[in-house]
Amino acid sequence: MSSDIAIARAGFGTRVRHIWQTSRRLPLIPIIIMSAVVFVAIFADLITPYPPNEMLLPDRLTPPFFMPEGSTAHILGTDTIGRDILSRMMFGARISLSVSLLVIAIATVIGTVLGMLAGYRRGRVDAVLMRVTDAALAFPALLIALLLAVALGPSFRTVVLALSALSWAPYARMMRGEVLKIRDEDFVGQARIIGGSQARILIKHIFPNVVNTLVVLMTMSVGLVILIEASLSFLGAGIPPPTPSWGSMVADGRNLFNRAWWISLFPSLAIGSVVLSGNFLGDWIRDKMDPRLRQL
Amino acid sequence: MTRFIILRIIQAFVTLIVISMVIFALARASGDPVMLMAPPMATLEDIEVIRKHLGLDKSLPEQYWVFLKNMTRGDLGKSIQNRRDVTTIMWERLPNTVSLSLPAIFLGISVSLILGVTAACRRATWVDSGVKFLAILGQALPSFWLAIVAISVFAVLLGWLPTSGMGSPAHYVLPVLTLSFFMLPIFTRLLRSSMLEVLDTEYVKLARIKGLSERVVVWKHALRNAIIPLLTAAGITFATIVTGAVIIETVFAWPGLGRLMAEAMIRRDFPVVQAAVLLVAVVVLVVNLLVDIVYAYVDPRIRY
Repeated sequence: MSSDIAIARAGFGTRVRHIWQTSRRLPLIPIIIMSAVVFVAIFADLITPYPPNEMLLPDRLTPPFFMPEGSTAHILGTDTIGRDILSRMMFGARISLSVSLLVIAIATVIGTVLGMLAGYRRGRVDAVLMRVTDAALAFPALLIALLLAVALGPSFRTVVLALSALSWAPYARMMRGEVLKIRDEDFVGQARIIGGSQARILIKHIFPNVVNTLVVLMTMSVGLVILIEASLSFLGAGIPPPTPSWGSMVADGRNLFNRAWWISLFPSLAIGSVVLSGNFLGDWIRDKMDPRLRQL
Repeated sequence: MTRFIILRIIQAFVTLIVISMVIFALARASGDPVMLMAPPMATLEDIEVIRKHLGLDKSLPEQYWVFLKNMTRGDLGKSIQNRRDVTTIMWERLPNTVSLSLPAIFLGISVSLILGVTAACRRATWVDSGVKFLAILGQALPSFWLAIVAISVFAVLLGWLPTSGMGSPAHYVLPVLTLSFFMLPIFTRLLRSSMLEVLDTEYVKLARIKGLSERVVVWKHALRNAIIPLLTAAGITFATIVTGAVIIETVFAWPGLGRLMAEAMIRRDFPVVQAAVLLVAVVVLVVNLLVDIVYAYVDPRIRY
């Protein structure tokens, strides 16, 4: 606190140096990658060189621009039916991000409500909810997704539904633990004595104390959801073609890796770097907001 | 103890019932099986006959009861694709998956033991950061892509190993390696943090003061205690192996359960996927039940 005051009093040079030193501690590369991906996902329509599903058959299997036969017309090359890899990846970013945002939003709401209820009510409610949570935690998400893909047919909705079906469990687990820690604190008891309803106590008094943990868990699961979505699309249970998704693009180039490695390499790099950035950002936010969770 | 075990078995049983209800509901949501089976020229009467034959004219609770009865008898229906008994198909494929995943689990655990313990003992050195980096990278890279790269480097480019399929021992190398890589990051991270906690305890200090060699302290006294918390990760490990098996078997054209599921999904062969999911659900429940019981046995403080 006192250093802030000192800086406020200090001259321009000191202030610049302070900003520089703070920013050096930021995970700059993950922030840049993530913002780039978000930007591309939002403005994909405006900035892609080609429509994602346009087939330019004469240009098919063009290598990326730095290869001898490559051309700058298709910076990252084209696939077997002449679709521009870069354009498809940009639209793929939109799929990856929207799936993960939706899934995390749904998982957060369900997990928080169930977890807080279990932790606050204890007893029978807790026992039943935690058994369900245990089952959901232990069950491979990929299988539920396959089952749903068969039952309802692969679609954007199915993918979101399938991934949300289990991903609320870690949230419920974590929220329960956090609520258990503070439910017997004095301020909760006082709120109860004043006559606050259960909903009011949970929302107004307990939730603000657990929201940090929640944010940390949310950022840390971005990468995981993107990875599962990619695996699903790779297996053909994700977003159905021709909609471009990173996972299905890798699958497209799977049998051509030795002749046309660029078809699957670039989408894989996209998956890897986004997941990596997400995990780094998650780690960083955790260290900032809630260092107790470092064991995760 | 007996009371605890009985209670847990009842709980597991209830969970199984709930899972079977969900699967039954999904089966009904997946479309009218009569329409899938009836020949294109079938009249309305024909469809009615098939419906009656399949028992679909009964009420939903009655249908669920029949479904449960068949399930307990091991009758999980017939594959839509080739009309063969699903149970038979699964029994054919199961050994292939087991023979792939057992060595992978063994390899994954041994390597992560070495990595996790070494990283914990050399905390905050380049060894530690190297292992941490490897673990983070392993969690971020899509495993299916890793498998593709492995195939094109070691099978196509260098020609050392077969690209896919099953046969000679050489066919095992790449799938086992990539599958074990699947579980490496989680296990290494868990073991590292659990080791760090144990290395900080009084009894490890005492063992050092007694003059035991560092090797005995770490690998005998500390490791034994660090492994106990990892028991709870057995459930997660199983889930990872199942996910890994589906992906790795698909990439390597390995005739196991995982590929069976992936292929059945693409052909929309519901009975096969349903049976596979049920099988995995039962195994998950049994694994968790055993873990809970073993844990309560090892650590008597954990009881409900």
